[in-house]
Amino acid sequence: MSVEAFFLPVAGEQRFCIFHPANAPTPRGLVLYVHPFAEEMNKSRRMAALQARALARTGYAVLQMDLLGCGDSSGDFGNAGWQTWVNDVVQASVWLRWRGHSNGATRDKAPLWLWGLRAGCLLCSQAATYIDEPCHFLFWQPPLSGKLMLQQFLRLKVAADMLDGRALKSMDGLRNTLKSGKPVEIAGYTLAAELAHGLGAALLSPPARTGEMLRVEWLEVSGLEPPRLNPVPVDALDAWRQAGYQLVRHVTPGPAFWQSGEMRDVPELITATTAVFTPQDGP
Amino acid sequence: MNILQEVIQVLDSVLGLKGRASVFGRDTSLLGGVPELDSMAVVSLITTLEEHFGMVIDDDDIDGSTFATVGSLSDFVSGKLAA
Repeated sequence: MSVEAFFLPVAGEQRFCIFHPANAPTPRGLVLYVHPFAEEMNKSRRMAALQARALARTGYAVLQMDLLGCGDSSGDFGNAGWQTWVNDVVQASVWLRWRGHSNGATRDKAPLWLWGLRAGCLLCSQAATYIDEPCHFLFWQPPLSGKLMLQQFLRLKVAADMLDGRALKSMDGLRNTLKSGKPVEIAGYTLAAELAHGLGAALLSPPARTGEMLRVEWLEVSGLEPPRLNPVPVDALDAWRQAGYQLVRHVTPGPAFWQSGEMRDVPELITATTAVFTPQDGP
Repeated sequence: MNILQEVIQVLDSVLGLKGRASVFGRDTSLLGGVPELDSMAVVSLITTLEEHFGMVIDDDDIDGSTFATVGSLSDFVSGKLAA
C-alpha cells in the first residue's frame, strides 16, 4: 500500500502527517500514533514507521502526526505548549475518522486506537477526554506521570554540563526559571514554561468510559535478562481496570530504542504489538 | 548480588557496547574514556540504574566524581543501596 504524506492545517499552521492506508477493503481499525518528547521522537522514528507499516499490512489505517514544532511540522519547539499538543492529537483523530469513513470504515466497524510512545501515552490519555468517540489505547513504554519525563529531560542539561566540566546548573535553578515563566535551553531544545508545566502535571489516568469494553495494550521492552516489566504501583493499574478498561501488560526483550545513541530496531516489540492486533476474533 | 558486575551489565546494555564492557574493571574510565557516554546516555544510565536497583538517584548526585570510573559508579550504587 502506498503511504501518503501531507500537511494537515491546524489553527492556521501545518502539521506534517503520514497516512498508511489499511491493506484491506474495510479497515479493521484506525490507529493514531503520538510520538514521544523531544529527541526521543527522532530516535524512535524508525520503529514507529516499521510498526505503522506492520499494522497497515494487518488491515489497520494508521496516521502519524508530527506535533506543533516537532519534526517537519510548522512552528518552533519553543512555541509548543502541552495543550496545543493535546489539541493536535484530537484534530488528528478527527481527520483519521473522516478518512477512515471514505475508506469504507463505519464507526461501528472500525475502533479507534490511540498509540503512544513514552510521553505520547500521556498525550493520548488526555486527548481521549476531548475525542467524541470511545478510544482504545496502545501504550509503548508508558510513564505513569509526566513529572518523571520532565525530570529526565531537565537532567539532560545537568548531564551535559557535567560532561563539559562546566559549573553544574542545578535542577532547582532550572525549575525556578520555568516557574518564573521563562524558557530553558536543553540539548538544543527551547522548553517553554507552559510546556514544562503541562508535561510535569500530566498523569496517565483513564478517561471516562461510556459503556462498551475498551482495551489497553501496554507493552514494554526490557534490557534485563530475563526481560521483566517495570515495577508499577498496583493502584495505577487498578485505576484503569476500575474505570472498566481491559488492561493487558506485555514485555519483550530489547534496548531502550527511544534513547539509545544509535538507531536500534526491536523486532520483538513489533512482532508482539502486531500479534495483539491480529487475534482470531479481532480486536 | 555482585553490584560491580551488574553495573557493568547495565553499562553494556545502555551504551550499546555489545559485550565490550565485559573487559571493564573497577579502574576503567567512564567520563572521557567511553565515547558513547553523552548527555542522553548519562540520563539513560541514571534511569536504568534506578529501575534496575529499585533506588532513587538525587539530582545532586549527577556529578563528575560519580561517573569517573566503573569503580566510582559501582561504589555510588553500593552506597545508595546501603543507605
